[in-house]
Amino acid sequence: MFFFILQFITGMVLSMYYIPHLEHAHKSIIEIVTKLNMGWFFRSVHHWGAQLAIIFVFIHVFSTLLLKAYRKPRELTWVTGFMLLTISILFGLSGYLLLWDERAFAAVRVATGGAGNLPLVGGFIKAFLRGGIDVTGETLTRFYAFHVAILPIITILLTVIHLMLVQMQGMSIPVSIEKKQHKTMLFFPNMFYKDLIIWLIMLGIMVSLAVFFPPEIGKKADALAPPPENIKPEWYFLFLFQTLKLFPGEILGLNGETVAIIIISLGILFFFLIPFFDKKSSRGEPSPLFTWIGIIYTLYFVVMTLIGFVT
Amino acid sequence: MKRFFLSLILVLSNSIFLFAEEKIEIFPSVPFDQFIVYQNLAIFWVAIIGLIVIIRMKLREFERIQKMGIDKEEKDIPLLD
Repeated sequence: MFFFILQFITGMVLSMYYIPHLEHAHKSIIEIVTKLNMGWFFRSVHHWGAQLAIIFVFIHVFSTLLLKAYRKPRELTWVTGFMLLTISILFGLSGYLLLWDERAFAAVRVATGGAGNLPLVGGFIKAFLRGGIDVTGETLTRFYAFHVAILPIITILLTVIHLMLVQMQGMSIPVSIEKKQHKTMLFFPNMFYKDLIIWLIMLGIMVSLAVFFPPEIGKKADALAPPPENIKPEWYFLFLFQTLKLFPGEILGLNGETVAIIIISLGILFFFLIPFFDKKSSRGEPSPLFTWIGIIYTLYFVVMTLIGFVT
Repeated sequence: MKRFFLSLILVLSNSIFLFAEEKIEIFPSVPFDQFIVYQNLAIFWVAIIGLIVIIRMKLREFERIQKMGIDKEEKDIPLLD
């Protein structure tokens, strides 16, 4: 939440100077970084804020899954939280293309092409995201609209609903200690002051990362040039990237990539619907099966991301 | 001859830079500007640590008052006319 607020602030500053046009996008970012006073800092903070926001959304979702905080009556909180995770990833993907360098161009081409492999709706999703057959200036305009207008509005709405639900239902307590006597803590001032300390530490870490590791800018994207070597998607797509690598080109006469995309989509759909399948937790009983499912999902994500990172 | 080879190597080694990609400066390159950035980062961390100390002191004060039970207003408190 804190990172989302920072992203809004730094994003507003950057949008004052960014030009969402095929010919000027890359140049305008170079000008922000090299000519504007503190421009490099705002861009770097925006970059690292996005990375940290996505990391913390993932940690939050996986801890909710493992502690079974999704159980009745908090199904809707889980649904809104999952949607916020999806939106964070879409924010990352749309923001990545705005740089309009060769890596971003190739990564978005692969990501939108992957979505196009979905049966029935794939072609529509691909065309909707790209605004045409290939990644072009139309895609850049579209992604800019997603990044600065559509996604922020949806994020604000979902965050308000998510926080209202948390306020109404209170914080979830794990099944194992639910029946035991536990200490309650006031939101204000105790919880608020503790959160404030964490926010300050995170702010310091984010600013330090922005200073020591400012993000690089590659060569301007060229649709006719071959993609750069050793191209990898952003870290939050690595587990999907590695999963796709596991599948052969053809399975039982079907396109291997299409089969992989269907299996991955089903896996994500099951993850999304877990609160509705886990009936035991809803009744306040321990459900080891879903504990193991949670552990498998978490381990799969972590291990595949690490393998993708190292290889 | 030795001088010729040395000058040839020098010319060739310099010509490599002609083919090198132009690197975009994503961080201030002037040493003084860099020093200012690092100095400000250090001051920023000092301020963060200072704020954390103050917040922790305040938090302990709240907890102490809550433990004593004097954070809530008493019921039926006599009012002065």
